[in-house]
This record gives sequence, structure tokens and C-alpha cells, in this order.
Amino acid sequence: MKKIIIALAIFLLFAAPWIVSAPFFVHLMIMVLMWTVLGASWNILGGFTGQVSFGHSTFLGAGAYTTMILFLKLGIAPWYGIPIGGLVAALIALPIGFICFRLRGPYFALSTLAVAEIIRLIALNWESFTNGPVGLLITTLPDVTFGGRSIDWENKVPFYYIIAVIALAAIVATYIMSRTRLGAYSLAIREDIDSAEAIGINTVQTRVAALSLSAFFAGVAGGFYAMYFRYIDPDAVFSIALSVEMVFIAVVGGLTTVAGPLIGAIVLVTFGETFRQIFLVGHLIFYGLMMMIAIRYLPEGIWGRLRLWLGAQH
Amino acid sequence: METFVQSIVSGLLTGSLYAMIGVGLTVIFGVMRIINMAHGEMVMLGMYGAFLSISFLKVDPFLSIVLWIPIAFLIGVFIYRFLLKNIVPAGELNTLLYTAGLSLFIANLVLLIGTGDYRTIKLKYAIMPLRPFGISVPIPLAIAFGMAILITVALYWFLARTDTGRAIRATSQEPEAAALMGVNVDRTTIITFALGTALACAAGVLLAPSLYLYPTVGEILVAKCFVIVVLGGLGSVPGAIAGGLLLGVVESLGAVYVSVPYKDAIGFVIFLLVLLFRPSGLFGVGKS
Repeated sequence: MKKIIIALAIFLLFAAPWIVSAPFFVHLMIMVLMWTVLGASWNILGGFTGQVSFGHSTFLGAGAYTTMILFLKLGIAPWYGIPIGGLVAALIALPIGFICFRLRGPYFALSTLAVAEIIRLIALNWESFTNGPVGLLITTLPDVTFGGRSIDWENKVPFYYIIAVIALAAIVATYIMSRTRLGAYSLAIREDIDSAEAIGINTVQTRVAALSLSAFFAGVAGGFYAMYFRYIDPDAVFSIALSVEMVFIAVVGGLTTVAGPLIGAIVLVTFGETFRQIFLVGHLIFYGLMMMIAIRYLPEGIWGRLRLWLGAQH
Repeated sequence: METFVQSIVSGLLTGSLYAMIGVGLTVIFGVMRIINMAHGEMVMLGMYGAFLSISFLKVDPFLSIVLWIPIAFLIGVFIYRFLLKNIVPAGELNTLLYTAGLSLFIANLVLLIGTGDYRTIKLKYAIMPLRPFGISVPIPLAIAFGMAILITVALYWFLARTDTGRAIRATSQEPEAAALMGVNVDRTTIITFALGTALACAAGVLLAPSLYLYPTVGEILVAKCFVIVVLGGLGSVPGAIAGGLLLGVVESLGAVYVSVPYKDAIGFVIFLLVLLFRPSGLFGVGKS
């Protein structure tokens, strides 16, 4: 039964652009999947190890700038730039982890916020490298042929498939993590870090590994962001608001669950984007409200609660 | 030399307001052990309060503070009683996330009602700065500085001399012992939260004529505020005052001697260093 549902979900994931092909809906689905990746990224750290980061836009921005700069300065196409962006973000996560994981609980959260602000200010002021507040712009994406046909980058559907593959990879990675030692160690750290240390878990290494994996997916999503919007600037990709949105999607969807980030992204992004179409501003009001409701009444998240009702394991 | 004195003076002027915001956050932390991510939004509400006073009520923003402090106090009581009270026992990380949600909610509510335009408050008497000893002092900032000192001294007297103030300090030191000594911890907590909110809001009113107003200004302010309270040691009122003045001076010296664009980063770098090497604050009085 579970296998049928998963097969059906994957089929739907790839057939969706044929079922609804209006550009707004394709854009909406792309946003939902991009935020699924970001929510999954935050979940890998925040959900499993229980370390609250308010600085995940650092990794998104690192991926976005890597992809953009590789393309504009060295002519490396974004589809190579995106995974490289993820690797760069994962590498940046190592020193950040070794510094910030000396702190615990809310202190860790505040330190990630500070690191993210420092990196945003560097991106804003290192003009020779990042073009500063003006930002970076891709005018045309390079030609690619796929299955004998040239891909039309003016159409949104190719982007949909790219992000669908990335989102699937992020969900599978979460599933694999939940089944391996890294996941088990992380959960032990979340429950009680001193006991975890006492039974011989290297808590710094485990948390840094989780952060690095988490940063990889945020970086990949950032690379995709750069390629899809073709324009980035420091305030767009390094903002505190982006970090906070990632937290909200993961928490509202359901921490530590495999499908939670997808559910959180479907609920929050669909409503947020629709709200934005009507009122233009203030779409995050719903994010704030959902977050407060979730913490108060639904601490296990929407998917966490549904899962309890369905009585299933995943 | 004149530049140096000038930057110290401007730093202290801004720092006095930072200190007020920081004291608000630190008393809340002291009693409730929570980090209020929505604290910056309270400052933002105060700034909009000042803006509303001058544009609709035609009242000078500095006078309007007598109206906004009690309103902010009531908002604080409301937020604690109806929103936070049930969350705080669920742990500090849940509270952190909850107040982050509250912060986003308030900022976007203001964005929806008032649009995201940058606004400024122009005061007729504030066109030319004062020039004592050749140092330029903007009038709005000078008035704000004076009022910030008055309010901080009043708060100090309240905490040191009144029964409620003693109850707050006792709860901050040891909630269980305070309860055993007959302190009504629940009531003290409400008063503390409302007091912290009122301080943030008052600082916002005082800051408004010197800054741009926009709905998400709280985001930057709350980040600065964390720097201040961690510098001074979380939970310590004198620490937050010193931390606020220090940050003001460091920023203004940094802008002159390091670089204007990186002046905000200096505060964060110091913040990280203090968190890592002196987690109880520069003066060693905070609770980590």
C-alpha cells in the first residue's frame, strides 16, 4: 500500500506539468518544490539534531553566487554550477559548524544569525567579486539539446523538471539519513546532548556532518534560484527573512519527518504565492500565523499529526 | 582628534537608545529565560506610534511617549497573557521559534496596513544641529538621549527601590526561592514582559525622528539587540546599558576608522567572539 502511494506520488510529481500547464501553476509548483528542498535542508539539521539555525540563507546565497559567478566569469553552465554550488555551501558549513557548535540551544541560533549577517555584509561590499548591491544578472542561458531537441529556457517546464529531480533527491537523502547511523546519532543529540556525548557519540562531528549535508541542499536550491530567476543580489539571497522561511516550512510541515518539508511547502508556499498575487505585499503574515499555531497546537507539524492519524510509520 | 571626539559623542547618543532596547530584552530574559525574537517589532511599533502622533494627532513625537508607554505596556500584558504564557513551559527553543513567528506576523501586518514605504519624521526645530565645542549634535538625537537617560534612571530606581522591582530581581536570580519567599512569580512575569515591551516601544518612539521607518526595520534592530545583551551578559541590566553604549561607540568609530559599509559587521564579529570566549558577557555578570 505504502509503495503504491509513493509510486503514485512520484508519477504525479513528473506528470504534473501536463496535468496543469498554466504558467502561474507551473511557477507555483516550481516554488513549492524549491521550498521543499530548502525545508528539507533545514529539517536535516534542525529536525534531526535539534539545532535551530537562523542563518541558513548563508548556504542558499553561497550556492546562488557560486552558480552565477561560475557562469558569468568562467562560462560554466548552471547545470554544472548547481551541484558545485551545493558543494561550496557544504564546505563553507564546515568552519561555521566548528565555530558555532561550541554553543548550545538559543546561543547557537543567535550565532548563526550573526554569521549570516556578516556574510551578507561581505557579499554586499565585496563589489569586485559579487558586484555588490547591484547584483548579478544572466541574460541568456546556454543552448542545450535533450533527446534531440533544443531546450526552450523561456518555458518554465524544463525548470520544473530540474527542481523536481533536486526535490526528490532531498527527500530521498532525508529518508536515507533517517535510516543510517548519522540520523540515529543526530536524534540522540536532539534528545539529550550530554547523554549522547557520554555514550561515545562525537557530537561535534555529527552536528557538523548534518550541517554540511543540510548546507549542500540549501546550496543546490540556491543555484537553482539563480538559474531560474536569472538575477540575484545580496538582499535577495542572504536575507534573514529567507532563513526564517526555511525554518517555518520545516516546522509547520513536521520536523524529523521525511515528507514534512513537502507538506509544509505545499501549504505555506501555495497560500503565500496566492496571497502575493492579490495583495502584492505581506504574504509572510500567513507564515508567522501558521508558525504560532503550529508551535501552540501542532508541535509535531501537519505531516507529523497526519501520520499519527494514519497510523503509518513514514 | 575632533573626529574622534565627534564619533564617540554620536556613538554614545545612539548607544543610549540601543541600551534602552537591550535593557528591555535582558529583563525579559532574566525573568522568563526566553529570547524574544519579536522585541525588534516592539521598537518598530514605537517608531510607527511616533509617526502616527505627528501626522494624525499633530503631537510632537517626544511628547507622545507618555501615550505610547502605557499602550505598549498593555500590548505586552496582552501578548504574554494570551500568546506566550502557554508556550514558555514548552522550552526555550519552542519559544524562540514562536516569537520568530510573532515577529514575522507583526511586521507583515504593518506592511499590509501601512505599505512598505520608507517614511521619515521631520521636526521643525531640528533643521540645524547643535554645535557645543564644535561637535555636531543633531537635536532629535540629543532630546532622545536625555529622555533615554531619564527613563533608564527611572527604571533603575524602580528595580532597586520598589517592592515590584525587588520581586523582579528576585525572580530573575532564583524563581523557586522567590516563590517560596512569597513573590507572586506569575504576576511578576507579566509585569516584566510588559515592562520590557514598553521600554522597546519607548526607544522606538525616541529613535523615530533619527531613522527611516519601514515595517521590517525590527529585523535589523533585534539582531543588534542580541549583540548588546550578549556583550553585557544576558540577564544583566547594567551589562545591557554598557553593551548598548559600547555598540553605539564601536559602530561609530568603525564607520570612521574601518569602513562605513562594514560598521554593522564589526558588532557581529565582536558578538561571535564574546559568545565563544566570554559567554557570560564582557563584564562576567550574565547567566549563560
